[in-house]
Amino acid sequence: MSAPSPASAVQSALARDKLGTLSLLHFSLTAATPLTVIAGGVVVMFAVAGQIGIPIGYVIIAASLLLFSVGYTAMARHIANAGAMYAFVARGLGRVPGVAAAWVAATSYCALQVSLYGYLGYVAQSLFASIGLDLPWWAFALVAWLLVGLLGTRAVDINAKVLAVLLTVEVAVVLVFSASNFANAADGVSFGAFSPTALSGEAAGAVLALAVIGFIGFESPTVYGEEARDRKRTVARATIATVLILAFIYIVSSWSIITAAGDDNVVAAATADFDLMFSLAGDQLGSTWETIGRILLLTSVTAAALSFHNTTARYLFALGREQVVFSWLGRTSVRTCAPVAASVTQTVAGGLVIVLWAVLGLDPVVHLFYYLGTASGIGLIALILTCAIAVLVYFARDRREESLWASRIAPVLAILAMGGVLYLSVIHFHTLLGVEKGSLLPKLVPIVFAVLALLGALWALFLKRARPDVYAGIGHGAKAPLVQAAERAAVPVGAAGDR
Amino acid sequence: MPDAPTPRLVYDAFLITAYHDFYKPAVAPRVIGLGLGAALLAELVFSGQLAVRSHAGRDLVIAESRGGPPRDSLGLWLTELVQSEPEHLAVPEWLEYLAIADTQTKTADHMVVAGLMVRGEQRSRWLGKVQVTYDAADALIAQAPLARLRRYLSSMDRRMPLLDAFLLALTESVGLSKSLYSQMPAGAREYAEGHLRVLPAPLQAIRGHLTAAVADTAITGNL
Repeated sequence: MSAPSPASAVQSALARDKLGTLSLLHFSLTAATPLTVIAGGVVVMFAVAGQIGIPIGYVIIAASLLLFSVGYTAMARHIANAGAMYAFVARGLGRVPGVAAAWVAATSYCALQVSLYGYLGYVAQSLFASIGLDLPWWAFALVAWLLVGLLGTRAVDINAKVLAVLLTVEVAVVLVFSASNFANAADGVSFGAFSPTALSGEAAGAVLALAVIGFIGFESPTVYGEEARDRKRTVARATIATVLILAFIYIVSSWSIITAAGDDNVVAAATADFDLMFSLAGDQLGSTWETIGRILLLTSVTAAALSFHNTTARYLFALGREQVVFSWLGRTSVRTCAPVAASVTQTVAGGLVIVLWAVLGLDPVVHLFYYLGTASGIGLIALILTCAIAVLVYFARDRREESLWASRIAPVLAILAMGGVLYLSVIHFHTLLGVEKGSLLPKLVPIVFAVLALLGALWALFLKRARPDVYAGIGHGAKAPLVQAAERAAVPVGAAGDR
Repeated sequence: MPDAPTPRLVYDAFLITAYHDFYKPAVAPRVIGLGLGAALLAELVFSGQLAVRSHAGRDLVIAESRGGPPRDSLGLWLTELVQSEPEHLAVPEWLEYLAIADTQTKTADHMVVAGLMVRGEQRSRWLGKVQVTYDAADALIAQAPLARLRRYLSSMDRRMPLLDAFLLALTESVGLSKSLYSQMPAGAREYAEGHLRVLPAPLQAIRGHLTAAVADTAITGNL
């Protein structure tokens, strides 16, 4: 888009309506739920990894995602439907890999969202049991599922306001707890957690995979690329700021837990008590703060479920509009314009999983939250890596006036970094799941994603032969009907001549 | 009294998108703005005051002189805006602008003058603010545009006029397909598709960009 001309009343009015960096930051940060990541992820990472190198794990992932963000936001300036990573793959590597990536992405986001109902059920069960209300985990999970399902079919704007309030309170509590941990250091403030040797062996892959999940949502500012005040800078600034802010919160809070428990004791303490974060707060600040933390954790997990519900619904909606999957997924609510069919589909998937897990008597934390959550983490890391390769290939064809750093160097470094993270995550996946090396489950997850990608690719090849107009619109999201119409008229978009 | 011949596409679009009754809900506010913007552009393209031309991959809106100046203030407002722009802007930019330029109120005021709507004021009990409301002067007239489209779809015995075909496309694009096709006979969608496929290229472009803008609204939640 050309720069607004001072003489243009329309361009000036449109410019006034554009979103600035802070607005985009608001959207991306409300997709993150730090308390869930720290209370539900960081403490578990100490227990699973058996090491104290969690902060250095976050440093590594933050650096990798920052490198990825450079090329990712540069490419977002040149493509439509920049909110979905599969669109980057479709435009960089081709439509067949694009559909393969879309299937993996939709499944991963869906699985991640559904996994949160397990943790939510567990957290609510523990909280309400303390006040004498003893109900099974799935009863609480179903209540939250209903709430998320209802909010998901409303306008996203309402959800964003709810999420913003929750995020502000969450961050405040995390910072209070962290400050308290540093003020009550067991052996003084230690920098041992930042030593490269603090994260090694088979635990490294597990820690890195879990760390990536905490940042999911960082990619969302590109959704608003066309509404950004300065498409060249605003989206990039918001994306990078999101990664930096989340990294700061995760690094400081995980470091503070080590400081409070002591370098030598934190692993044993986390293994013995998954609620270590709140136990520390209870000891240091009193039981009121501990209760506040637990209540906020419940709202935080609910917010995380809602946030990922919206992300998944947007993915399914875009795919429905492209007619890459069922076209009815592209239907909107008349009154609110929310992607209602996609939202209801995600709700149905979540409900089925909760009921199935309850009927089979499976553990909500281990079998739902950890297994599904970490499996989706593998899918999302593979998606980010594929997207980084797509960015490099896209700019290899034409640099489009982007700098050497954004178009070549940063994407190569991001591929190396994310490739390493994926390799370690896959080969150490048994550690993540807490099962024996060589058992079936850790092998099954990469196989499932590979099969999904293969099926997606085959479906794209079918579309290419049977429905070339639909095939032409792949990766264009909301604008797919325009591309499809041009394809049906056998005329490239914008080349129809005078009308 | 009306300063423009009725019925008009933009009036019909208003009654379909913004008027709520038992049979049909109103769509989201931003989608109303986008729909009315598309209707106004299409109306002026149809009457020869504006044109849509493709250039360098963009569908540009250009002022035309063959239709003479519009006879009504609403059309004149948009035509003068198009003429005053230093560079030609594309259809998505005009739709975006018309969605934020309160086209809904402008159209409603125009329909009050035309005798189709009645303007009212309600004072909020809590905040004390005065809220302006627009109600249909006649409920039957308010339901007429959708009823007309449904009559075409149910009988399928004659060709739809071009502007009604565009109105049908607009109704689909803003998400009111259910209200349009509910209880219609088999073949109604094929009948409609037959009309939409042969819309002139400028109207096809406006329709496509409207559909895309509504989908963007659903994805970004920018209501």
